[in-house]
Amino acid sequence: MMMSETLDKYGERAGDCEYLTLAFSPISAPLRSRWRNNGLSADFLGDYVTTFLPANGALPASGRRQNEVKHAVTYIANELLENAMKYHQPDVDIPIRIRLELASDHIAVSVSNGASLVQAGRYKAFVEHLQEGDVDDLLLRQQEESARSSESTMSSLGLLTMISDYEAQLDWRFDIHPTQPECITVTTSAVLPLKGVPGASA
Amino acid sequence: MKNIHGESFDVQLEEENSTILFKGALRLCGTEDYAPILDMLKETLTSPAMRIVLDLRELDFLNSSGITMLSRFVMEARDRPGIDLQVLASEAVPWHARSLRNLQRLMPGLSIRLT
Repeated sequence: MMMSETLDKYGERAGDCEYLTLAFSPISAPLRSRWRNNGLSADFLGDYVTTFLPANGALPASGRRQNEVKHAVTYIANELLENAMKYHQPDVDIPIRIRLELASDHIAVSVSNGASLVQAGRYKAFVEHLQEGDVDDLLLRQQEESARSSESTMSSLGLLTMISDYEAQLDWRFDIHPTQPECITVTTSAVLPLKGVPGASA
Repeated sequence: MKNIHGESFDVQLEEENSTILFKGALRLCGTEDYAPILDMLKETLTSPAMRIVLDLRELDFLNSSGITMLSRFVMEARDRPGIDLQVLASEAVPWHARSLRNLQRLMPGLSIRLT
């Protein structure tokens, strides 16, 4: 695992942001033994946010609110990492990255992984479906469907709960790998506007 | 009393009062890994005269695969007549107020006690 503060795809806002990036090379261990790492990393990011929040000055030092934000970051980071670990294309030289961005008005969690053209296409179709539909209806339908069991619908339930239950704004990027054009770097970002953090005082 | 536990969680079935107690953080990997817990939950459905209680008050974290497992159980309970299902939840655990209402949408008769 490596840490850096330099991943700068959205670097134009570097002046008022703080970043933390973790990167994993998923070929080094099988999925099941990596699974524990998702939770550890997600917990770490959630804890990290709590030390940042009071220092920001924009938030009341309310323990309850801090707990809400911490949990939201942990849940979102965990779901995005689980999806990335499940769907990562193992034979591509693209690490799985999770990036936490802390700004005065929002927190963003972005996760990227490598995917084949087919996988990326499927995911893109789901994203389009998500952007067109009513999230609460989709969530109810996905719950009914995934209860009848399929791993792929389960992953979309994670995204739907982020939007519906955590009021996260999701965004996606699909970038063609510079040297392996049959591979796509898929990035899913979840933004939590700090004013709108549920459970916080308005 | 039956019990399933892992590094970060513990799930206990008290057969005599059809209560299932969850503790800790549950982030298992998909349907297969949740199957033993779902099977244990389903054991309560054999005595429909009793109230079934899911005590989640000490379950601090549940991933979406775990939410799917609960949804699955709730739908099974909904589809059997005469099942009285109650969920005990805590205001101190952020995901309870956020996500449990989705279970109520699946089964409108489900009661959630948030304390």
